[in-house]
Amino acid sequence: MRITLLGWTAGISGLLLLQACGGGQPAQDTLNVDQAADSTAQARKQRTKAIFYNIPSPMETAALLKKAGAQYDKDILNDPNKNSSYTAASKQALNLGIYGADLSYASVYNNTHESMLFTAAAQNLAKQLNISSAFSQEVVDRMEKNRDHRDSLLNIISETYWEVDAYLKENQRENISAMMIAGGWVEGLYIATAVCAAHDTPELRQRIAEQKLPLTDLIALVSTYSGTDQSVAGVLNDLKALEAAYTGVSAAGGGSSVSQEGGVTVIGGSAPSASLTNEQLKAITEKTAAIRNTYIN
Amino acid sequence: MKHIGNLLASATLLAALLLPSTADAQCRSYAKNKWVPELAPYKFNETFNAAQLAPGEDAEVSLTFYSGQEYRILVRSHPILGEVNWKLVDGSNKIIFESLADDPKHTFDFKVASTQQLKVQVWVPEAPNANNMTHVGCVGILVGFKE
Repeated sequence: MRITLLGWTAGISGLLLLQACGGGQPAQDTLNVDQAADSTAQARKQRTKAIFYNIPSPMETAALLKKAGAQYDKDILNDPNKNSSYTAASKQALNLGIYGADLSYASVYNNTHESMLFTAAAQNLAKQLNISSAFSQEVVDRMEKNRDHRDSLLNIISETYWEVDAYLKENQRENISAMMIAGGWVEGLYIATAVCAAHDTPELRQRIAEQKLPLTDLIALVSTYSGTDQSVAGVLNDLKALEAAYTGVSAAGGGSSVSQEGGVTVIGGSAPSASLTNEQLKAITEKTAAIRNTYIN
Repeated sequence: MKHIGNLLASATLLAALLLPSTADAQCRSYAKNKWVPELAPYKFNETFNAAQLAPGEDAEVSLTFYSGQEYRILVRSHPILGEVNWKLVDGSNKIIFESLADDPKHTFDFKVASTQQLKVQVWVPEAPNANNMTHVGCVGILVGFKE
């Protein structure tokens, strides 16, 4: 949009100065505009609304699983030593998300040794994807230093995930970001279904059923980039296949009534919790495992 | 003279190409230092939803909220834009919470009785002197949860 600034020779030095003096506040454009001649203002008015899809992060998913009574099982996670075998950018992005989810899962359950292995694997993939500046050695050193302080470690992991995602988006690599997010989400669902297979509880089934909601948003997010990137289009097909496995699952609940409960605002009423039949759980478990298997191999 | 002209054109192109990503990066840095701490004691959900908006523009974020978790939504804008309007709506666009620029509330704490999707909609009020100034500023929509 602001490419129209190209026509403003008088603004060049101001622009460069703005670049140089960014400081602690985000750069803002304050432009003196002749409204009649300003195509920028007109274009902005016609701009599509900015729409974001907030997919639950690996850390939030791992915390939910722990609350639901899921046990930790390191054997279901991806092998951190496989990271160097991922040479295609699409595989690197998907597995960056997968290792990120494994890292969150291991860290929420306080398995420090495995956390550091997944950190190294993820960092190597970040390096291969040229996003080292968002996932630097300094970050790894901080994690190593805080390995025995669970809360600090979780904060650093969250911060790093955010930095990597934001860096990709800021550098017009949203397709890589979308694949990383998809990989992380699929791994979270895979962990949930694998843990549920070993120790089935109504709470775990509920959390798996509820993933139907963010899956809708994830499909919308990935669709944004599937037209221009064949790898993303492949991931979109995978997610749609997973969506088909969710057919018949009732996950939406609530309603918008608002009440107070112990000083906390509560939204929604008495809708039944989401649940899964055995057949639905089997279909989702198998489809998730099949998709995840193509990503990690 | 022609050489200077080429140089100027190159510098302009470089500036135009770099500016949006620099603005976004500084928006992230600003949010990290100024806004994320306001989520405490809630834990940041790691997803940074931010847009460079001008007066009259709007943004929307679709979110899934899980039963049993407590959440804080934080909506902030850079001072150059002033306060923004925002609301939390359900799937039928029914307003659950609303904050208007003339009486702003930057946070809303809540929990959901059952897992559901809600949307945060933000819109920037038109500036009083919109005829001769265009401001573009960072607006952030952040979510925190209690582990």
